[in-house]
Amino acid sequence: MLTTIREVQIPLLAVMLLGACLAKAWRALRAHGDTARTDPAGLFPAHLQHPITILMFAAELGLGLGLIGTAVTVGHTRPGLPPTIVRTGTALFFFVAVGALNEMRQRRPDSGCGCFGELSGTPIGLRTIARPGLLCASAVATLGLPPLRMPSSPAEAELWLAVLAFELALIAFLSPELGEIMVRLGYSEPCELRRLPVGRTMTTLHASSQWRRYAGQISAAAPSDVWREGCWRFVVYPGSAGGRPVDIVFAVYLQSRRPAIRAAVLDADTDEVLGPTGTRESAVV
Amino acid sequence: MRHLADIPRWCDDVTDSASPARFARRSLLRAAVLGRRDESDLSLAATGDGDAGAAASSLTYTVTGRILDVSPHVLVLLTEQGEQRFPLAASAEAWRGGLVSPAALRQGDHAIVRRRVPGGPVVERIWAEIGRVAGTIIERDGRSSLLVDEGPAKGRRIVLIGPEAAGRIQVRFPRLEPGYLIDVIGLKHDGYLQALIPATSQPPYRAGHPPVAPLVSGHVPDPVSGTAIWHEPGEEPENLLGLAYPALDPETSCERAAAAPRACSGELHAVEEHAVDPHTTGCGCVRLPYLSVGSLVRLRNDCTERTRVVPVTSCGATARLFCDRCVTCGTSRKGRIADLTMAAFVELGGALEVGCFNATMMIGH
Repeated sequence: MLTTIREVQIPLLAVMLLGACLAKAWRALRAHGDTARTDPAGLFPAHLQHPITILMFAAELGLGLGLIGTAVTVGHTRPGLPPTIVRTGTALFFFVAVGALNEMRQRRPDSGCGCFGELSGTPIGLRTIARPGLLCASAVATLGLPPLRMPSSPAEAELWLAVLAFELALIAFLSPELGEIMVRLGYSEPCELRRLPVGRTMTTLHASSQWRRYAGQISAAAPSDVWREGCWRFVVYPGSAGGRPVDIVFAVYLQSRRPAIRAAVLDADTDEVLGPTGTRESAVV
Repeated sequence: MRHLADIPRWCDDVTDSASPARFARRSLLRAAVLGRRDESDLSLAATGDGDAGAAASSLTYTVTGRILDVSPHVLVLLTEQGEQRFPLAASAEAWRGGLVSPAALRQGDHAIVRRRVPGGPVVERIWAEIGRVAGTIIERDGRSSLLVDEGPAKGRRIVLIGPEAAGRIQVRFPRLEPGYLIDVIGLKHDGYLQALIPATSQPPYRAGHPPVAPLVSGHVPDPVSGTAIWHEPGEEPENLLGLAYPALDPETSCERAAAAPRACSGELHAVEEHAVDPHTTGCGCVRLPYLSVGSLVRLRNDCTERTRVVPVTSCGATARLFCDRCVTCGTSRKGRIADLTMAAFVELGGALEVGCFNATMMIGH
């Protein structure tokens, strides 16, 4: 059983290293340049930050591929030198990461670890530091492990999967990035932040019953004012009601389907709120 | 039936001084169409000394003007109301490049003063010839001369850093190089600012790459906390109570004008490559709901606990580039949420030479 637990660590470590490597590459490709530093490279002088980022990227890529490449050595039953070097390097990498994150936490408490690129913006906490500690222990556990082999029985395969599931759950618990991923997957931008063209607002307004109700009083082809506050866009048209000049104000809620639309009529000279037909009655519809 | 081609006609040209009445009327129209619920929001936002509109337009603590005469006991200012005399409190302090006695101020200086009590005659603080430049360094000439781009709404300023202030500023702004941000306070001169005080610590990133704000689910939190700063009046009236808001509706405000490409060639091109249009760098490190010029917000100075309803009067997109905190009283949340006019900043109890205060803003939605 102990051997099974140790065997699981190799693919797990490789996936973590390559995942972190890909996430960093994705951020670098999207940012097109010098971005706000939210990783331990930010602790170094400016001229060293870029080389250190590349070094981290290369180390993760090399160790991840190295773990996979040296996991199975055909014809051998004892671990050779290359697997030992790669696994020792992996353990050292995560050991250094623990120290760097701890330093980062003390010097820049509001910065994220940057471990998985832009997903790792959450300030570094004990859980974030515990994760490389766990992975360091995992890498140490693989030292001296013979080449990987397929499970010899269904029971062994089930044990293998159970250990993998448990360890993934433990890593997920220690990963603030998981919450960020969940938010992104189900994210819908609040209406206050959603950029919505004015033309669409006008189309929605012109198709509404409120528009048809007041269209006869509107005296200009174009609105005299349009502005937005949060989830509402306001459109003002000059008009005439009961022989007096009025302003007809529409408020359109900025949502795609069946937006609420309200209207009011105001005396253009006195700003008095009038009824729908220009009378001095309750005006808000 | 209606022509969408006409839509840009009513875009918020924030430099257009001919239409302030249109902007001021928006809060009234909004209250009319959204009904009693939002009217109550506005009355909640008012400070209790009148309706929201009045609360938003009157200065009770602050006076601006040009110094006609000053003695240890009396300050004479030329204001919009004409010549006004203000007795100086025994503890009155003045700033002119540093803390000085009021008698050290000079005739002809432009001054902004704060009364001890609202509407009272006695003055407790005076700032003379104070200025501020916040933006992206786009050119450096030698060790002490910088050209700073304050964004499409404010233009470009020259900043000179004298040897007496160089050490103090470089501690907080280690990268005085094109492409990096700067925010300094100092003395205004013809055509340039003499930088004396760093207004913040330099963000470690290049101006064009501010951090991304966390995603917001549901609705944007209201109220929102962060940093309030101030800016020089520029084209605005000196005694304007207002704020430059970092998130004006991009469909109807300054962002449209800013999107126009700038013509440049030769040496100018080298300068332009460092210029950053804040409208293209995302929302900055705080997500704020879109508003328009004329919208009213309730702003509280968390340090003095003074609150005012302040109208949005201009575009403050450059504030998005600064992902910093204010430490005037405790540590604020990250991000600039309001770029106040000088008058509004002083009215809310801020000290101009400090540069910021921890603020809470209620938008009322």
